[in-house]
Amino acid sequence: MAVLSGYPFMGPMTCAFAPLPDFVRHRFIGRALVADSEWSAWMAAAQSGDSRAYHRLLVEVSSWLHRYFTRRLPPPMVEDTVQDTLLAIHEKRHTYDPARPFGPWLAAIARYKWIDRLRTLKSAQTEALTDELAITDHEEAVTSASALERLLQELKPAQSAVIRMVKLEGLSIEEASVRTGQSISLVKVNIHRGLARLAAKVRNRPDAG
Amino acid sequence: MRDSPLIEDLVKDLKPVRPRSAKADALIVGGLGLVELALFLGLGMARPDMPAAMAQPSFWWKLGSLGVIAVLGAIAAIVSFDPAASPRRGLRWVAIAIGVCFVTGWVIDAERGGMSSLISRLDWRNGIQCALKMAALSLPPLIGLGLLMHRGAPTDAAGTALAVGITAAAWGAFVFVFACPYDDPLYLAVWYTVGCGVVTILARLLLPRLLRW
Repeated sequence: MAVLSGYPFMGPMTCAFAPLPDFVRHRFIGRALVADSEWSAWMAAAQSGDSRAYHRLLVEVSSWLHRYFTRRLPPPMVEDTVQDTLLAIHEKRHTYDPARPFGPWLAAIARYKWIDRLRTLKSAQTEALTDELAITDHEEAVTSASALERLLQELKPAQSAVIRMVKLEGLSIEEASVRTGQSISLVKVNIHRGLARLAAKVRNRPDAG
Repeated sequence: MRDSPLIEDLVKDLKPVRPRSAKADALIVGGLGLVELALFLGLGMARPDMPAAMAQPSFWWKLGSLGVIAVLGAIAAIVSFDPAASPRRGLRWVAIAIGVCFVTGWVIDAERGGMSSLISRLDWRNGIQCALKMAALSLPPLIGLGLLMHRGAPTDAAGTALAVGITAAAWGAFVFVFACPYDDPLYLAVWYTVGCGVVTILARLLLPRLLRW
Protein backbone atom coordinates (compact mmCIF):
# COMPACT_ATOMS: atom_id res chain seq x y z
CA MET A 1 0.00 0.00 0.00
CA ALA A 2 2.82 2.36 0.86
CA VAL A 3 4.36 1.76 -2.57
CA LEU A 4 1.18 2.91 -4.25
CA SER A 5 0.68 6.03 -2.20
CA GLY A 6 2.74 8.12 -4.62
CA TYR A 7 0.22 7.66 -7.41
CA PRO A 8 -2.22 10.53 -7.71
CA PHE A 9 -5.26 8.36 -8.19
CA MET A 10 -4.11 5.91 -5.57
CA GLY A 11 -4.37 8.22 -2.58
CA PRO A 12 -8.18 8.34 -2.38
CA MET A 13 -8.53 4.79 -3.69
CA THR A 14 -6.34 3.21 -1.08
CA CYS A 15 -8.44 4.87 1.60
CA ALA A 16 -11.79 4.30 -0.06
CA PHE A 17 -11.21 0.66 -0.93
CA ALA A 18 -9.32 -0.36 2.16
CA PRO A 19 -12.32 -2.16 3.75
CA LEU A 20 -13.22 -3.96 0.47
CA PRO A 21 -12.25 -7.58 -0.28
CA ASP A 22 -8.82 -8.01 -1.82
CA PHE A 23 -10.00 -9.13 -5.26
CA VAL A 24 -12.18 -6.00 -5.63
CA ARG A 25 -9.44 -3.70 -4.40
CA HIS A 26 -6.80 -5.24 -6.65
CA ARG A 27 -9.05 -4.89 -9.67
CA PHE A 28 -9.38 -1.14 -9.15
CA ILE A 29 -5.73 -0.64 -8.27
CA GLY A 30 -4.76 -2.69 -11.32
CA ARG A 31 -6.84 -0.40 -13.54
CA ALA A 32 -5.13 2.63 -12.10
CA LEU A 33 -1.70 1.11 -12.77
CA VAL A 34 -2.71 0.36 -16.35
CA ALA A 35 -3.91 3.96 -16.72
CA ASP A 36 -0.61 5.26 -15.39
CA SER A 37 1.38 3.07 -17.75
CA GLU A 38 -0.79 4.19 -20.69
CA TRP A 39 -0.40 7.82 -19.72
CA SER A 40 3.37 7.38 -19.42
CA ALA A 41 3.50 5.89 -22.91
CA TRP A 42 1.27 8.64 -24.35
CA MET A 43 3.35 11.38 -22.78
CA ALA A 44 6.55 9.82 -24.09
CA ALA A 45 4.96 9.70 -27.54
CA ALA A 46 3.81 13.31 -27.17
CA GLN A 47 7.37 14.37 -26.39
CA SER A 48 8.29 12.93 -29.80
CA GLY A 49 5.51 14.95 -31.45
CA ASP A 50 2.67 12.35 -31.60
CA SER A 51 -0.39 14.62 -31.50
CA ARG A 52 -2.94 11.76 -31.35
CA ALA A 53 -1.36 10.33 -28.22
CA TYR A 54 -1.15 13.83 -26.78
CA HIS A 55 -4.81 14.49 -27.45
CA ARG A 56 -5.87 11.26 -25.72
CA LEU A 57 -3.63 12.05 -22.81
CA LEU A 58 -4.91 15.61 -22.34
CA VAL A 59 -8.55 14.52 -22.52
CA GLU A 60 -8.03 11.90 -19.80
CA VAL A 61 -5.83 14.13 -17.70
CA SER A 62 -8.41 16.91 -17.97
CA SER A 63 -11.07 14.61 -16.52
CA TRP A 64 -8.76 13.55 -13.74
CA LEU A 65 -7.89 17.18 -12.96
CA HIS A 66 -11.56 18.12 -12.75
CA ARG A 67 -12.11 15.42 -10.16
CA TYR A 68 -8.91 16.38 -8.34
CA PHE A 69 -9.71 20.09 -8.05
CA THR A 70 -13.44 19.59 -7.41
CA ARG A 71 -12.49 17.85 -4.17
CA ARG A 72 -10.10 20.62 -3.19
CA LEU A 73 -11.32 24.01 -4.39
CA PRO A 74 -14.54 26.02 -4.37
CA PRO A 75 -16.49 25.25 -7.60
CA PRO A 76 -15.95 28.65 -9.31
CA MET A 77 -12.20 28.08 -9.22
CA VAL A 78 -12.13 24.56 -10.64
CA GLU A 79 -12.36 25.25 -14.38
CA ASP A 80 -9.71 27.99 -14.32
CA THR A 81 -7.35 25.84 -12.30
CA VAL A 82 -7.80 22.86 -14.64
CA GLN A 83 -6.97 25.04 -17.65
CA ASP A 84 -4.02 26.60 -15.87
CA THR A 85 -2.70 23.13 -15.02
CA LEU A 86 -3.17 21.87 -18.59
CA LEU A 87 -1.15 24.85 -19.82
CA ALA A 88 1.56 24.10 -17.26
CA ILE A 89 1.66 20.44 -18.36
CA HIS A 90 2.04 21.61 -21.95
CA GLU A 91 4.79 24.11 -21.20
CA LYS A 92 6.70 21.78 -18.89
CA ARG A 93 6.22 18.52 -20.79
CA HIS A 94 9.98 18.29 -21.42
CA THR A 95 10.50 17.86 -17.65
CA TYR A 96 8.73 14.48 -17.70
CA ASP A 97 11.23 11.62 -17.68
CA PRO A 98 9.79 8.77 -19.81
CA ALA A 99 11.72 6.24 -17.71
CA ARG A 100 9.56 7.08 -14.70
CA PRO A 101 5.80 6.78 -14.04
CA PHE A 102 3.62 9.65 -15.21
CA GLY A 103 1.36 9.69 -12.12
CA PRO A 104 3.72 11.30 -9.59
CA TRP A 105 4.80 13.88 -12.19
CA LEU A 106 1.19 14.87 -12.89
CA ALA A 107 0.28 14.82 -9.19
CA ALA A 108 3.21 17.12 -8.34
CA ILE A 109 2.11 19.68 -10.95
CA ALA A 110 -1.54 19.46 -9.89
CA ARG A 111 -0.59 19.94 -6.25
CA TYR A 112 1.66 22.90 -7.15
CA LYS A 113 -1.24 24.53 -8.99
CA TRP A 114 -3.56 23.81 -6.07
CA ILE A 115 -1.18 25.50 -3.61
CA ASP A 116 -0.73 28.36 -6.06
CA ARG A 117 -4.50 28.80 -6.24
CA LEU A 118 -4.80 28.75 -2.46
CA ARG A 119 -2.17 31.48 -2.31
CA THR A 120 -4.11 33.65 -4.73
CA LEU A 121 -6.99 33.60 -2.25
CA LYS A 122 -4.84 35.90 -0.13
CA SER A 123 -4.84 38.66 -2.69
CA ALA A 124 -8.23 37.92 -4.27
CA GLN A 125 -10.72 40.73 -3.90
CA THR A 126 -14.04 39.63 -2.47
CA GLU A 127 -17.28 41.54 -2.75
CA ALA A 128 -20.01 41.48 -0.18
CA LEU A 129 -23.25 39.85 -1.34
CA THR A 130 -26.47 41.68 -0.64
CA ASP A 131 -29.26 39.96 1.25
CA GLU A 132 -31.61 40.60 -1.69
CA LEU A 133 -30.02 37.93 -3.87
CA ALA A 134 -32.61 35.17 -4.17
CA ILE A 135 -30.27 32.19 -4.23
CA THR A 136 -30.73 29.14 -2.11
CA ASP A 137 -27.84 28.48 0.21
CA HIS A 138 -25.78 25.59 -1.14
CA GLU A 139 -22.61 26.56 0.66
CA GLU A 140 -22.73 23.66 3.07
CA ALA A 141 -23.08 21.10 0.30
CA VAL A 142 -20.22 22.65 -1.61
CA THR A 143 -17.78 23.01 1.23
CA SER A 144 -18.55 19.66 2.80
CA ALA A 145 -17.60 18.01 -0.47
CA SER A 146 -14.36 19.89 -0.59
CA ALA A 147 -11.05 18.94 0.91
CA LEU A 148 -10.63 22.65 1.55
CA GLU A 149 -13.15 22.34 4.34
CA ARG A 150 -11.18 19.52 5.94
CA LEU A 151 -8.05 21.63 5.74
CA LEU A 152 -9.83 24.61 7.26
CA GLN A 153 -10.76 22.45 10.22
CA GLU A 154 -7.08 21.98 10.94
CA LEU A 155 -6.59 25.73 11.44
CA LYS A 156 -7.28 27.67 14.59
CA PRO A 157 -11.04 28.38 14.85
CA ALA A 158 -10.48 32.14 14.68
CA GLN A 159 -8.54 31.74 11.43
CA SER A 160 -10.85 29.25 9.73
CA ALA A 161 -13.93 31.29 10.65
CA VAL A 162 -12.74 34.50 8.99
CA ILE A 163 -11.34 32.68 5.94
CA ARG A 164 -14.71 30.98 5.46
CA MET A 165 -16.61 34.25 5.81
CA VAL A 166 -14.42 36.53 3.71
CA LYS A 167 -12.90 34.20 1.12
CA LEU A 168 -15.64 31.64 0.60
CA GLU A 169 -18.88 33.37 1.58
CA GLY A 170 -17.90 36.79 0.22
CA LEU A 171 -18.46 38.87 3.35
CA SER A 172 -16.49 42.07 3.80
CA ILE A 173 -13.69 42.33 6.36
CA GLU A 174 -15.93 44.64 8.41
CA GLU A 175 -18.83 42.18 8.43
CA ALA A 176 -16.54 39.34 9.45
CA SER A 177 -15.21 41.56 12.20
CA VAL A 178 -18.72 42.21 13.53
CA ARG A 179 -19.74 38.56 13.28
CA THR A 180 -16.67 37.14 14.98
CA GLY A 181 -15.98 39.95 17.43
CA GLN A 182 -12.40 40.21 16.12
CA SER A 183 -10.99 43.65 15.34
CA ILE A 184 -10.62 44.53 11.64
CA SER A 185 -6.84 44.28 11.79
CA LEU A 186 -7.08 40.93 13.59
CA VAL A 187 -9.41 39.62 10.86
CA LYS A 188 -6.81 40.61 8.24
CA VAL A 189 -3.99 39.04 10.24
CA ASN A 190 -5.95 35.82 10.79
CA ILE A 191 -6.79 35.54 7.09
CA HIS A 192 -3.18 36.13 6.10
CA ARG A 193 -1.73 33.71 8.65
CA GLY A 194 -4.45 31.13 8.12
CA LEU A 195 -3.93 31.01 4.35
CA ALA A 196 -0.16 30.83 4.80
CA ARG A 197 -0.62 27.94 7.23
CA LEU A 198 -3.05 26.27 4.85
CA ALA A 199 -0.54 26.43 1.99
CA ALA A 200 2.22 25.12 4.27
CA LYS A 201 0.04 22.21 5.40
CA VAL A 202 -0.71 21.25 1.81
CA ARG A 203 2.93 21.56 0.78
CA ASN A 204 4.19 19.45 3.65
CA ARG A 205 1.80 16.56 3.11
CA PRO A 206 3.58 13.53 1.69
CA ASP A 207 0.70 12.77 -0.66
CA ALA A 208 -1.94 15.23 -1.68
CA GLY A 209 -3.81 12.72 -3.79
CA MET B 1 -14.03 12.35 -21.00
CA ARG B 2 -13.74 16.09 -21.48
CA ASP B 3 -12.59 17.87 -24.57
CA SER B 4 -12.16 21.60 -24.87
CA PRO B 5 -10.89 24.30 -27.25
CA LEU B 6 -7.85 24.62 -25.00
CA ILE B 7 -6.94 20.96 -25.53
CA GLU B 8 -7.35 21.40 -29.28
CA ASP B 9 -5.06 24.44 -29.19
CA LEU B 10 -2.44 22.65 -27.10
CA VAL B 11 -2.47 19.64 -29.43
CA LYS B 12 -2.08 21.97 -32.46
CA ASP B 13 0.82 23.67 -30.73
CA LEU B 14 2.58 20.37 -30.00
CA LYS B 15 6.20 20.22 -31.07
CA PRO B 16 8.72 17.51 -30.27
CA VAL B 17 10.75 18.26 -27.15
CA ARG B 18 13.87 16.70 -25.75
CA PRO B 19 13.20 15.42 -22.21
CA ARG B 20 15.11 17.36 -19.60
CA SER B 21 18.17 15.62 -18.23
CA ALA B 22 19.60 16.31 -14.78
CA LYS B 23 23.03 15.22 -16.03
CA ALA B 24 22.93 17.80 -18.83
CA ASP B 25 21.93 20.48 -16.31
CA ALA B 26 24.81 19.45 -14.05
CA LEU B 27 27.25 19.66 -16.96
CA ILE B 28 26.00 23.15 -17.85
CA VAL B 29 26.33 24.37 -14.25
CA GLY B 30 29.75 22.75 -13.80
CA GLY B 31 30.97 24.14 -17.13
CA LEU B 32 29.72 27.62 -16.31
CA GLY B 33 31.47 27.53 -12.94
CA LEU B 34 34.75 26.36 -14.43
CA VAL B 35 34.62 29.00 -17.19
CA GLU B 36 34.09 31.70 -14.59
CA LEU B 37 37.00 30.41 -12.51
CA ALA B 38 39.28 30.16 -15.55
CA LEU B 39 38.40 33.72 -16.64
CA PHE B 40 38.95 35.02 -13.12
CA LEU B 41 42.38 33.41 -12.82
CA GLY B 42 43.25 34.16 -16.47
CA LEU B 43 42.65 37.86 -15.88
CA GLY B 44 45.33 37.80 -13.19
CA MET B 45 42.96 38.26 -10.25
CA ALA B 46 44.61 35.64 -8.03
CA ARG B 47 46.32 36.85 -4.87
CA PRO B 48 50.07 37.43 -5.36
CA ASP B 49 51.09 35.39 -2.30
CA MET B 50 49.34 32.23 -3.45
CA PRO B 51 52.23 29.80 -2.66
CA ALA B 52 52.42 31.11 0.92
CA ALA B 53 48.62 31.06 1.27
CA MET B 54 48.50 27.43 0.19
CA ALA B 55 50.58 26.55 3.22
CA GLN B 56 47.86 27.91 5.53
CA PRO B 57 45.19 25.48 6.79
CA SER B 58 42.61 28.29 6.68
CA PHE B 59 43.09 28.68 2.90
CA TRP B 60 42.16 25.04 2.34
CA TRP B 61 39.40 25.31 4.92
CA LYS B 62 37.66 28.14 3.07
CA LEU B 63 38.26 26.62 -0.36
CA GLY B 64 37.08 23.14 0.68
CA SER B 65 34.10 24.39 2.66
CA LEU B 66 32.78 26.59 -0.13
CA GLY B 67 33.40 23.91 -2.75
CA VAL B 68 31.45 21.31 -0.76
CA ILE B 69 28.58 23.73 -0.09
CA ALA B 70 28.44 24.75 -3.77
CA VAL B 71 28.39 21.13 -4.98
CA LEU B 72 25.74 20.01 -2.45
CA GLY B 73 23.63 23.09 -3.21
CA ALA B 74 23.89 22.50 -6.95
CA ILE B 75 22.78 18.87 -6.55
CA ALA B 76 19.79 19.95 -4.44
CA ALA B 77 18.84 22.66 -6.95
CA ILE B 78 19.18 20.52 -10.08
CA VAL B 79 17.28 17.61 -8.55
CA SER B 80 14.44 19.95 -7.60
CA PHE B 81 13.98 21.24 -11.17
CA ASP B 82 11.98 18.00 -11.61
CA PRO B 83 8.42 18.72 -10.42
CA ALA B 84 8.15 15.40 -8.58
CA ALA B 85 11.34 16.00 -6.55
CA SER B 86 11.87 18.16 -3.47
CA PRO B 87 15.00 20.16 -2.61
CA ARG B 88 14.40 19.80 1.14
CA ARG B 89 16.56 16.71 1.66
CA GLY B 90 19.46 18.28 -0.23
CA LEU B 91 19.06 21.48 1.75
CA ARG B 92 19.37 19.52 4.99
CA TRP B 93 22.73 18.21 3.77
CA VAL B 94 23.78 21.75 2.90
CA ALA B 95 22.81 22.91 6.40
CA ILE B 96 24.86 20.07 7.93
CA ALA B 97 27.85 20.97 5.71
CA ILE B 98 27.61 24.64 6.76
CA GLY B 99 27.55 23.58 10.42
CA VAL B 100 30.61 21.34 9.96
CA CYS B 101 32.45 24.17 8.16
CA PHE B 102 31.86 26.57 11.04
CA VAL B 103 32.99 24.02 13.63
CA THR B 104 36.21 23.18 11.75
CA GLY B 105 36.84 26.91 11.28
CA TRP B 106 36.47 27.43 14.99
CA VAL B 107 39.02 24.62 15.62
CA ILE B 108 41.50 26.21 13.19
CA ASP B 109 40.92 29.59 14.82
CA ALA B 110 41.50 28.17 18.30
CA GLU B 111 44.87 26.84 17.18
CA ARG B 112 46.01 30.28 16.10
CA GLY B 113 46.31 31.42 19.73
CA GLY B 114 46.58 35.00 20.89
CA MET B 115 43.20 36.74 20.61
CA SER B 116 43.87 40.21 19.27
CA SER B 117 41.03 42.67 19.37
CA LEU B 118 37.93 41.52 17.52
CA ILE B 119 37.36 44.81 15.71
CA SER B 120 40.82 44.89 14.16
CA ARG B 121 40.51 41.24 13.16
CA LEU B 122 37.18 41.86 11.49
CA ASP B 123 38.50 44.82 9.46
CA TRP B 124 35.02 45.87 8.38
CA ARG B 125 36.07 48.19 5.52
CA ASN B 126 37.79 45.40 3.64
CA GLY B 127 35.15 42.96 4.82
CA ILE B 128 32.39 44.86 3.04
CA GLN B 129 34.48 45.03 -0.13
CA CYS B 130 35.05 41.29 0.04
CA ALA B 131 31.32 40.67 0.48
CA LEU B 132 30.49 42.86 -2.53
CA LYS B 133 33.07 41.14 -4.76
CA MET B 134 31.73 37.75 -3.71
CA ALA B 135 28.20 38.87 -4.57
CA ALA B 136 29.36 40.08 -8.01
CA LEU B 137 31.07 36.74 -8.69
CA SER B 138 27.83 34.97 -7.70
CA LEU B 139 25.92 36.59 -10.55
CA PRO B 140 26.99 34.27 -13.43
CA PRO B 141 26.05 31.04 -11.59
CA LEU B 142 22.90 32.72 -10.26
CA ILE B 143 21.80 33.67 -13.78
CA GLY B 144 22.75 30.24 -15.16
CA LEU B 145 20.90 28.34 -12.45
CA GLY B 146 17.99 30.76 -12.70
CA LEU B 147 17.64 29.99 -16.42
CA LEU B 148 17.75 26.25 -15.71
CA MET B 149 15.17 26.72 -12.95
CA HIS B 150 12.95 28.57 -15.43
CA ARG B 151 13.33 25.72 -17.94
CA GLY B 152 12.58 23.13 -15.26
CA ALA B 153 9.39 22.81 -13.23
CA PRO B 154 10.23 23.20 -9.55
CA THR B 155 7.16 22.65 -7.40
CA ASP B 156 8.81 23.84 -4.19
CA ALA B 157 9.83 27.24 -5.51
CA ALA B 158 11.03 28.52 -2.13
CA GLY B 159 13.26 25.51 -1.49
CA THR B 160 14.64 25.50 -5.02
CA ALA B 161 15.33 29.24 -4.89
CA LEU B 162 17.17 28.70 -1.61
CA ALA B 163 19.28 25.91 -3.12
CA VAL B 164 20.04 28.05 -6.19
CA GLY B 165 20.98 31.02 -3.99
CA ILE B 166 23.27 28.95 -1.76
CA THR B 167 24.97 27.36 -4.77
CA ALA B 168 25.54 30.66 -6.57
CA ALA B 169 26.75 32.37 -3.39
CA ALA B 170 29.09 29.53 -2.46
CA TRP B 171 30.51 29.34 -5.97
CA GLY B 172 31.05 33.11 -6.11
CA ALA B 173 32.87 32.91 -2.78
CA PHE B 174 34.84 29.85 -3.96
CA VAL B 175 36.18 31.79 -6.94
CA PHE B 176 36.89 34.80 -4.74
CA VAL B 177 39.01 32.64 -2.41
CA PHE B 178 41.77 32.73 -5.04
CA ALA B 179 41.95 36.53 -4.76
CA CYS B 180 41.10 37.11 -1.12
CA PRO B 181 44.26 37.93 0.89
CA TYR B 182 42.63 37.22 4.27
CA ASP B 183 43.16 33.94 6.08
CA ASP B 184 41.85 34.78 9.54
CA PRO B 185 39.01 32.27 10.19
CA LEU B 186 37.03 34.85 12.19
CA TYR B 187 37.17 37.35 9.32
CA LEU B 188 36.26 34.64 6.83
CA ALA B 189 33.39 33.29 8.91
CA VAL B 190 31.86 36.74 9.33
CA TRP B 191 32.34 38.36 5.92
CA TYR B 192 31.88 35.27 3.79
CA THR B 193 28.66 34.62 5.70
CA VAL B 194 27.54 38.19 5.01
CA GLY B 195 28.40 37.99 1.28
CA CYS B 196 26.85 34.56 0.80
CA GLY B 197 23.89 35.42 3.02
CA VAL B 198 22.93 38.50 0.99
CA VAL B 199 23.00 36.58 -2.31
CA THR B 200 21.07 33.66 -0.80
CA ILE B 201 18.38 35.88 0.71
CA LEU B 202 17.96 37.87 -2.51
CA ALA B 203 17.66 34.64 -4.53
CA ARG B 204 15.15 33.23 -2.05
CA LEU B 205 13.02 36.38 -2.22
CA LEU B 206 13.23 37.20 -5.92
CA LEU B 207 13.44 33.91 -7.84
CA PRO B 208 10.04 32.48 -6.79
CA ARG B 209 8.38 35.72 -7.94
CA LEU B 210 10.34 36.06 -11.18
CA LEU B 211 10.14 32.40 -12.20
CA ARG B 212 6.55 31.55 -11.26
CA TRP B 213 5.01 29.11 -13.73
